[in-house]
Amino acid sequence: MTDRALRLAAALVALAGAAVAGYLTWAHFAESAVVCVAGGGCETVQESEYAEIAGVSVAVLGLVAYIVVLALIAWDAWIARLSAAMIALIGLLFGAYLLALQLFVIDAICVWCLANDLLIAPALAVLTALRLRDGWGQPV
Amino acid sequence: MAAMKPGSRKPVSSDRPRGRTVVFAFAAAVFAAAALILVALVLRSDGDTPAPTPSPGVELTGIPQDDRVLGNAAAKVILIEYADPQCPACRSYAEDLFPTVVGEYVRPGTVANEFRGFPFIGPDSVKALRFIFAAGLQDKLWQFQEALYRNQGGENDGWVTDDLLREVASEISGLDVDKLFSDAESESIKQEADAASGEAEAAGVQGTPSFFVKIGDAEPYFIQVASADQMRAALDDALSE
Repeated sequence: MTDRALRLAAALVALAGAAVAGYLTWAHFAESAVVCVAGGGCETVQESEYAEIAGVSVAVLGLVAYIVVLALIAWDAWIARLSAAMIALIGLLFGAYLLALQLFVIDAICVWCLANDLLIAPALAVLTALRLRDGWGQPV
Repeated sequence: MAAMKPGSRKPVSSDRPRGRTVVFAFAAAVFAAAALILVALVLRSDGDTPAPTPSPGVELTGIPQDDRVLGNAAAKVILIEYADPQCPACRSYAEDLFPTVVGEYVRPGTVANEFRGFPFIGPDSVKALRFIFAAGLQDKLWQFQEALYRNQGGENDGWVTDDLLREVASEISGLDVDKLFSDAESESIKQEADAASGEAEAAGVQGTPSFFVKIGDAEPYFIQVASADQMRAALDDALSE
């Protein structure tokens, strides 16, 4: 896979992540979403005490992170690639934590959160990490 | 400058990090993620478990109650609410919209409010529902459920303890706490609470709070309620039928 293809794929995945995080941000604040859904759901997950950190919605954090990664992909200097990969790795690990919360603590699954935690965050972490391969082992 | 041989790697620009830098950066990212998770756990919102509110957010004194129905028994329109005592959205409704419904429709006698349970979140939902139903036997269901929401904890956190239920019950004037506990343990109440989820699902309820409007003897119909204005529109529409 060429670096150009990797860059395009990473940008698309980050865009998808921003879209999902954007939807979840909207759902977090929208009046119409205030309902607990049988069998679990985004509303239950988003109403949980874990949906916010010090009053800031986790969805907002995700949205900001994806926008920053998109900007870094656009910048494309090596420091930007490295930063994007670091943010994506943090996102992957934090997504795993959120997934564990949904499965074992909140007892509700939010399908959009799941899409982010299982597909988008891992894909972005892999793609951004692969973009560092040319620098691997090379002297500064 | 010598031409590159076919297949040779493109020279790496001088600003590219070496492997050690990448490893260090990834280690820092793992550390940052661990720190973020720690911070998230420590500073998680307590929006799901607000501090108990000492006084009722709505005044129900003087409004007739008969078991699960609040308000004028002869009202043409009945607003049916399906709720789970553990559902934070039900708590939000009880705090934000329920006072409007009571003040504008139930107290004037144009609409009666019927409580139905949909205890799907967990075993504590069923336990809390048993006590809500038991409070209904003393015509104090609406005060009890309102007080319970004010003391609501996190979903399936084990907050529905006998001590909490006793404390909540004891603040309701005229409620016999010992009778409440014996009624809540009765076979008939247990059966009703256990059957509540199945009945709600059979009625098409998918979440809580869910609202239906019943006009006279007609079949109840579902209404979408996300704001006070939507609730007013739905009830005014039903009253004009």
